[in-house]
Amino acid sequence: MTVITHVQRKSRLAEMVDRPGGVSVGVALAQAKANLDGLKDQALAIISENIGALLAHPTPDIPEALRLDSAYAASSQVIDAASPFALDDLCTAAKGLCDLLDAAPRQGGFDWRIATVHAQAMKLLLSLTPDAPGTAEARIAIMANLSEVLKRKLPMSPQSPA
Amino acid sequence: MATQGDSLRESAVFNLSGAITMVVDDSPFSLTLTAGALAGFGIRPAFTVGRGAEARRILQEKPVDLLLVDTDMPDIDGFELVRWLRRSGPNPNAFTPVIMTASHIRRGRVTEARDCGANFVVTKPFSAAMLLERILWVARDSRPFLEVGDYLGPDRRFRHDDYDGEERRADMIRKKTMEFA
Repeated sequence: MTVITHVQRKSRLAEMVDRPGGVSVGVALAQAKANLDGLKDQALAIISENIGALLAHPTPDIPEALRLDSAYAASSQVIDAASPFALDDLCTAAKGLCDLLDAAPRQGGFDWRIATVHAQAMKLLLSLTPDAPGTAEARIAIMANLSEVLKRKLPMSPQSPA
Repeated sequence: MATQGDSLRESAVFNLSGAITMVVDDSPFSLTLTAGALAGFGIRPAFTVGRGAEARRILQEKPVDLLLVDTDMPDIDGFELVRWLRRSGPNPNAFTPVIMTASHIRRGRVTEARDCGANFVVTKPFSAAMLLERILWVARDSRPFLEVGDYLGPDRRFRHDDYDGEERRADMIRKKTMEFA
Protein backbone atom coordinates (compact mmCIF):
# COMPACT_ATOMS: atom_id res chain seq x y z
CA MET A 1 0.00 0.00 0.00
CA THR A 2 1.26 3.46 -0.86
CA VAL A 3 2.28 5.59 2.10
CA ILE A 4 2.59 9.34 1.65
CA THR A 5 4.47 11.14 4.38
CA HIS A 6 3.52 14.77 4.97
CA VAL A 7 6.40 16.57 6.61
CA GLN A 8 4.69 19.41 8.40
CA ARG A 9 6.46 22.28 10.03
CA LYS A 10 6.35 22.62 13.79
CA SER A 11 2.85 23.48 15.02
CA ARG A 12 2.20 26.85 16.63
CA LEU A 13 1.38 24.97 19.80
CA ALA A 14 4.85 23.41 19.77
CA GLU A 15 6.44 26.80 19.16
CA MET A 16 4.68 28.53 22.04
CA VAL A 17 4.79 25.86 24.76
CA ASP A 18 8.36 26.65 25.83
CA ARG A 19 8.13 30.42 25.46
CA PRO A 20 9.07 32.55 28.48
CA GLY A 21 6.28 33.19 30.97
CA GLY A 22 3.40 30.85 31.44
CA VAL A 23 2.51 28.84 34.48
CA SER A 24 3.91 25.88 36.40
CA VAL A 25 2.18 22.52 36.27
CA GLY A 26 1.47 22.69 40.01
CA VAL A 27 -0.19 26.10 39.78
CA ALA A 28 -2.10 25.13 36.62
CA LEU A 29 -3.55 22.05 38.28
CA ALA A 30 -4.46 23.95 41.44
CA GLN A 31 -6.24 26.60 39.36
CA ALA A 32 -8.04 23.96 37.30
CA LYS A 33 -9.13 22.17 40.48
CA ALA A 34 -10.49 25.42 41.95
CA ASN A 35 -12.41 26.11 38.74
CA LEU A 36 -13.84 22.59 38.61
CA ASP A 37 -14.70 22.50 42.33
CA GLY A 38 -16.98 25.45 41.70
CA LEU A 39 -18.95 23.30 39.24
CA LYS A 40 -19.31 20.21 41.42
CA ASP A 41 -22.80 20.97 42.75
CA GLN A 42 -24.05 21.50 39.23
CA ALA A 43 -22.43 18.23 38.17
CA LEU A 44 -24.11 16.32 41.00
CA ALA A 45 -27.47 17.80 40.04
CA ILE A 46 -26.98 16.70 36.41
CA ILE A 47 -25.97 13.21 37.54
CA SER A 48 -29.08 12.92 39.73
CA GLU A 49 -31.29 14.19 36.94
CA ASN A 50 -29.97 11.57 34.52
CA ILE A 51 -30.22 8.75 37.04
CA GLY A 52 -33.82 9.90 37.55
CA ALA A 53 -34.38 9.68 33.80
CA LEU A 54 -33.05 6.12 33.78
CA LEU A 55 -35.39 5.15 36.62
CA ALA A 56 -38.46 6.85 35.17
CA HIS A 57 -41.18 4.81 33.54
CA PRO A 58 -40.90 5.04 29.77
CA THR A 59 -43.47 6.77 27.61
CA PRO A 60 -45.92 4.12 26.40
CA ASP A 61 -45.33 2.89 22.85
CA ILE A 62 -41.90 4.48 22.58
CA PRO A 63 -39.91 2.63 19.89
CA GLU A 64 -37.22 0.38 21.38
CA ALA A 65 -34.39 2.01 19.41
CA LEU A 66 -35.38 5.46 20.69
CA ARG A 67 -35.63 4.16 24.25
CA LEU A 68 -32.17 2.60 23.96
CA ASP A 69 -30.71 5.83 22.59
CA SER A 70 -32.31 7.93 25.34
CA ALA A 71 -30.98 5.64 28.07
CA TYR A 72 -27.55 5.59 26.40
CA ALA A 73 -27.53 9.40 26.31
CA ALA A 74 -28.53 9.63 29.99
CA SER A 75 -25.83 7.17 31.00
CA SER A 76 -23.23 9.03 28.89
CA GLN A 77 -24.20 12.30 30.55
CA VAL A 78 -23.59 10.71 33.95
CA ILE A 79 -20.03 9.89 32.80
CA ASP A 80 -19.55 13.42 31.38
CA ALA A 81 -20.63 15.13 34.59
CA ALA A 82 -18.86 12.72 36.97
CA SER A 83 -15.60 12.56 35.01
CA PRO A 84 -13.54 15.36 36.62
CA PHE A 85 -14.65 14.67 40.20
CA ALA A 86 -13.02 11.30 40.94
CA LEU A 87 -16.41 9.57 40.98
CA ASP A 88 -14.81 6.54 39.39
CA ASP A 89 -17.27 3.89 40.58
CA LEU A 90 -20.15 5.93 39.24
CA CYS A 91 -18.39 6.27 35.89
CA THR A 92 -17.68 2.54 35.77
CA ALA A 93 -21.33 1.74 36.49
CA ALA A 94 -22.51 4.17 33.80
CA LYS A 95 -19.93 2.85 31.35
CA GLY A 96 -21.13 -0.71 31.96
CA LEU A 97 -24.70 0.36 31.24
CA CYS A 98 -23.56 2.10 28.03
CA ASP A 99 -21.86 -1.14 26.96
CA LEU A 100 -25.04 -3.13 27.60
CA LEU A 101 -27.30 -0.64 25.82
CA ASP A 102 -24.91 -0.45 22.89
CA ALA A 103 -24.96 -4.23 22.54
CA ALA A 104 -28.77 -4.50 22.89
CA PRO A 105 -30.83 -5.54 19.85
CA ARG A 106 -32.41 -2.43 18.30
CA GLN A 107 -35.61 -4.24 17.40
CA GLY A 108 -36.40 -5.16 21.01
CA GLY A 109 -35.72 -7.79 23.61
CA PHE A 110 -33.46 -5.85 25.97
CA ASP A 111 -34.08 -6.73 29.58
CA TRP A 112 -34.80 -3.27 30.97
CA ARG A 113 -34.46 -4.50 34.54
CA ILE A 114 -30.70 -4.33 33.89
CA ALA A 115 -30.92 -0.58 33.29
CA THR A 116 -32.97 -0.16 36.46
CA VAL A 117 -30.43 -2.15 38.49
CA HIS A 118 -27.60 0.00 37.16
CA ALA A 119 -29.48 3.24 37.82
CA GLN A 120 -30.33 2.14 41.36
CA ALA A 121 -26.69 1.20 41.93
CA MET A 122 -25.59 4.63 40.65
CA LYS A 123 -28.08 6.32 42.96
CA LEU A 124 -26.74 4.32 45.90
CA LEU A 125 -23.10 5.05 44.99
CA LEU A 126 -23.91 8.74 44.84
CA SER A 127 -25.56 8.66 48.26
CA LEU A 128 -22.71 6.91 50.08
CA THR A 129 -20.78 9.21 52.39
CA PRO A 130 -17.08 8.81 51.51
CA ASP A 131 -15.65 8.45 55.02
CA ALA A 132 -18.57 6.74 56.76
CA PRO A 133 -17.93 3.27 58.20
CA GLY A 134 -18.83 0.50 55.80
CA THR A 135 -18.80 2.75 52.72
CA ALA A 136 -15.78 1.11 51.13
CA GLU A 137 -17.25 -2.37 51.62
CA ALA A 138 -20.59 -1.24 50.23
CA ARG A 139 -18.90 0.22 47.14
CA ILE A 140 -16.94 -2.97 46.58
CA ALA A 141 -20.11 -5.07 46.89
CA ILE A 142 -22.09 -2.86 44.48
CA MET A 143 -19.33 -2.85 41.91
CA ALA A 144 -18.86 -6.61 42.19
CA ASN A 145 -22.57 -7.15 41.56
CA LEU A 146 -22.58 -4.85 38.54
CA SER A 147 -19.50 -6.55 37.18
CA GLU A 148 -21.28 -9.89 37.51
CA VAL A 149 -24.32 -8.53 35.63
CA LEU A 150 -22.03 -7.26 32.88
CA LYS A 151 -20.23 -10.58 32.65
CA ARG A 152 -23.49 -12.50 32.33
CA LYS A 153 -25.28 -10.16 29.98
CA LEU A 154 -22.39 -9.06 27.82
CA PRO A 155 -20.47 -12.24 27.06
CA MET A 156 -17.52 -12.32 24.67
CA SER A 157 -16.99 -8.61 24.97
CA PRO A 158 -14.61 -6.88 27.33
CA GLN A 159 -15.73 -3.65 28.96
CA SER A 160 -14.82 -0.58 26.99
CA PRO A 161 -11.46 0.97 27.84
CA ALA A 162 -11.43 3.27 30.84
CA MET B 1 -9.34 7.91 37.34
CA ALA B 2 -5.77 8.74 36.75
CA THR B 3 -4.27 10.97 39.32
CA GLN B 4 -1.59 13.43 38.38
CA GLY B 5 0.61 11.62 35.92
CA ASP B 6 4.06 10.69 37.11
CA SER B 7 5.46 12.37 34.05
CA LEU B 8 4.07 15.79 35.06
CA ARG B 9 6.55 17.55 37.28
CA GLU B 10 4.88 20.21 39.42
CA SER B 11 7.59 22.81 38.92
CA ALA B 12 7.79 22.39 35.14
CA VAL B 13 6.62 25.54 33.36
CA PHE B 14 4.70 25.77 30.12
CA ASN B 15 3.15 28.64 28.24
CA LEU B 16 0.01 28.10 26.21
CA SER B 17 -1.62 31.42 27.02
CA GLY B 18 -1.52 32.40 23.36
CA ALA B 19 -2.97 29.15 22.05
CA ILE B 20 -6.08 29.69 19.96
CA THR B 21 -8.15 26.81 21.26
CA MET B 22 -11.47 25.41 20.13
CA VAL B 23 -13.62 23.11 22.26
CA VAL B 24 -16.46 21.29 20.50
CA ASP B 25 -19.07 19.44 22.56
CA ASP B 26 -22.84 19.22 22.25
CA SER B 27 -23.21 19.13 26.03
CA PRO B 28 -23.15 22.70 27.42
CA PHE B 29 -22.02 21.43 30.83
CA SER B 30 -19.13 19.44 29.34
CA LEU B 31 -18.08 22.59 27.48
CA THR B 32 -18.12 24.47 30.79
CA LEU B 33 -16.07 21.75 32.52
CA THR B 34 -13.45 21.64 29.77
CA ALA B 35 -13.25 25.43 29.54
CA GLY B 36 -12.85 25.58 33.34
CA ALA B 37 -9.94 23.13 33.29
CA LEU B 38 -8.31 24.94 30.35
CA ALA B 39 -8.67 28.31 32.08
CA GLY B 40 -6.75 26.83 34.99
CA PHE B 41 -3.96 25.92 32.58
CA GLY B 42 -3.85 29.51 31.34
CA ILE B 43 -5.67 28.68 28.11
CA ARG B 44 -8.74 30.77 27.32
CA PRO B 45 -10.68 28.91 24.65
CA ALA B 46 -11.31 31.25 21.74
CA PHE B 47 -14.19 29.10 20.50
CA THR B 48 -16.59 26.94 22.50
CA VAL B 49 -18.92 25.33 20.02
CA GLY B 50 -21.88 23.00 20.45
CA ARG B 51 -22.28 21.79 16.87
CA GLY B 52 -19.89 20.08 14.49
CA ALA B 53 -21.18 22.11 11.55
CA GLU B 54 -20.39 25.40 13.27
CA ALA B 55 -16.94 24.12 14.23
CA ARG B 56 -16.29 23.23 10.60
CA ARG B 57 -17.28 26.70 9.44
CA ILE B 58 -14.92 28.35 11.93
CA LEU B 59 -12.09 25.95 11.12
CA GLN B 60 -12.37 26.99 7.47
CA GLU B 61 -12.03 30.66 8.35
CA LYS B 62 -9.91 31.09 11.47
CA PRO B 63 -6.58 29.66 12.59
CA VAL B 64 -6.86 27.22 15.50
CA ASP B 65 -3.83 25.91 17.42
CA LEU B 66 -5.51 23.20 19.49
CA LEU B 67 -8.81 21.40 19.01
CA LEU B 68 -10.61 19.43 21.71
CA VAL B 69 -13.63 17.64 20.32
CA ASP B 70 -16.24 15.29 21.71
CA THR B 71 -16.81 12.10 19.75
CA ASP B 72 -20.57 11.76 20.10
CA MET B 73 -22.53 14.69 18.67
CA PRO B 74 -25.61 15.13 16.52
CA ASP B 75 -25.21 16.35 12.93
CA ILE B 76 -21.44 16.12 12.35
CA ASP B 77 -19.86 13.99 15.06
CA GLY B 78 -16.28 14.27 16.29
CA PHE B 79 -14.93 11.51 14.05
CA GLU B 80 -16.41 13.05 10.93
CA LEU B 81 -15.20 16.52 11.90
CA VAL B 82 -11.60 15.37 12.40
CA ARG B 83 -11.63 13.25 9.25
CA TRP B 84 -12.83 16.28 7.29
CA LEU B 85 -10.25 18.53 8.98
CA ARG B 86 -7.33 16.28 8.08
CA ARG B 87 -8.38 16.31 4.44
CA SER B 88 -9.18 20.03 4.35
CA GLY B 89 -5.76 21.07 3.06
CA PRO B 90 -4.50 23.59 2.03
CA ASN B 91 -6.39 24.78 5.12
CA PRO B 92 -3.54 25.40 7.63
CA ASN B 93 -5.72 23.85 10.36
CA ALA B 94 -5.46 20.46 8.63
CA PHE B 95 -2.44 19.63 10.82
CA THR B 96 -3.79 21.18 14.03
CA PRO B 97 -3.25 18.97 17.10
CA VAL B 98 -6.55 17.29 18.01
CA ILE B 99 -7.55 15.64 21.27
CA MET B 100 -10.82 13.73 21.13
CA THR B 101 -12.76 13.13 24.31
CA ALA B 102 -15.33 10.38 24.72
CA SER B 103 -17.60 9.35 27.56
CA HIS B 104 -18.10 6.00 25.84
CA ILE B 105 -17.24 4.70 22.39
CA ARG B 106 -19.77 2.36 20.82
CA ARG B 107 -18.29 -0.98 19.77
CA GLY B 108 -19.06 -0.31 16.14
CA ARG B 109 -17.09 2.94 16.21
CA VAL B 110 -13.80 1.85 17.76
CA THR B 111 -12.19 1.58 14.33
CA GLU B 112 -13.38 5.09 13.45
CA ALA B 113 -11.80 6.37 16.66
CA ARG B 114 -8.50 4.82 15.63
CA ASP B 115 -8.68 5.95 12.03
CA CYS B 116 -10.14 9.46 12.12
CA GLY B 117 -6.75 11.17 12.39
CA ALA B 118 -6.86 12.61 15.91
CA ASN B 119 -3.58 12.88 17.80
CA PHE B 120 -5.16 11.34 20.87
CA VAL B 121 -8.48 9.89 21.94
CA VAL B 122 -9.12 10.16 25.67
CA THR B 123 -11.96 8.25 27.28
CA LYS B 124 -13.60 9.55 30.42
CA PRO B 125 -13.20 9.64 33.33
CA PHE B 126 -10.09 11.76 33.14
CA SER B 127 -8.67 14.22 35.61
CA ALA B 128 -7.46 17.74 34.92
CA ALA B 129 -3.92 16.39 35.32
CA MET B 130 -4.46 13.82 32.61
CA LEU B 131 -5.93 16.44 30.29
CA LEU B 132 -2.93 18.70 30.85
CA GLU B 133 -0.56 15.81 30.28
CA ARG B 134 -2.24 15.03 26.96
CA ILE B 135 -2.20 18.68 25.86
CA LEU B 136 1.52 18.96 26.60
CA TRP B 137 2.04 15.65 24.85
CA VAL B 138 0.32 16.76 21.65
CA ALA B 139 2.15 20.10 21.82
CA ARG B 140 5.40 18.13 21.61
CA ASP B 141 4.10 15.45 19.29
CA SER B 142 6.60 15.36 16.44
CA ARG B 143 5.15 12.38 14.56
CA PRO B 144 4.87 12.97 10.83
CA PHE B 145 1.48 12.86 9.15
CA LEU B 146 0.90 9.81 7.01
CA GLU B 147 -1.56 9.16 4.25
CA VAL B 148 -2.21 5.43 4.00
CA GLY B 149 -5.31 4.29 2.15
CA ASP B 150 -8.22 6.13 3.79
CA TYR B 151 -6.16 7.25 6.75
CA LEU B 152 -4.66 10.71 6.99
CA GLY B 153 -3.25 11.76 10.33
CA PRO B 154 -0.32 11.38 12.71
CA ASP B 155 1.74 8.22 12.36
CA ARG B 156 -0.10 5.72 14.59
CA ARG B 157 3.01 3.69 15.32
CA PHE B 158 4.57 4.45 18.67
CA ARG B 159 8.08 3.28 19.45
CA HIS B 160 8.98 3.06 23.08
CA ASP B 161 12.26 1.18 22.70
CA ASP B 162 15.09 2.87 24.53
CA TYR B 163 18.10 3.71 22.45
CA ASP B 164 21.28 2.25 23.90
CA GLY B 165 23.73 4.75 22.49
CA GLU B 166 24.30 8.40 23.29
CA GLU B 167 21.02 10.31 22.95
CA ARG B 168 21.53 13.14 20.46
CA ARG B 169 17.95 13.76 19.35
CA ALA B 170 16.96 17.24 20.59
CA ASP B 171 13.32 16.37 21.22
CA MET B 172 14.24 13.28 23.22
CA ILE B 173 16.76 15.21 25.30
CA ARG B 174 14.18 17.90 25.97
CA LYS B 175 11.55 15.35 26.92
CA LYS B 176 13.89 13.74 29.41
CA THR B 177 14.89 17.12 30.81
CA MET B 178 11.34 18.35 31.16
CA GLU B 179 10.07 14.98 32.42
CA PHE B 180 6.99 15.25 30.24
CA ALA B 181 5.51 12.69 27.91
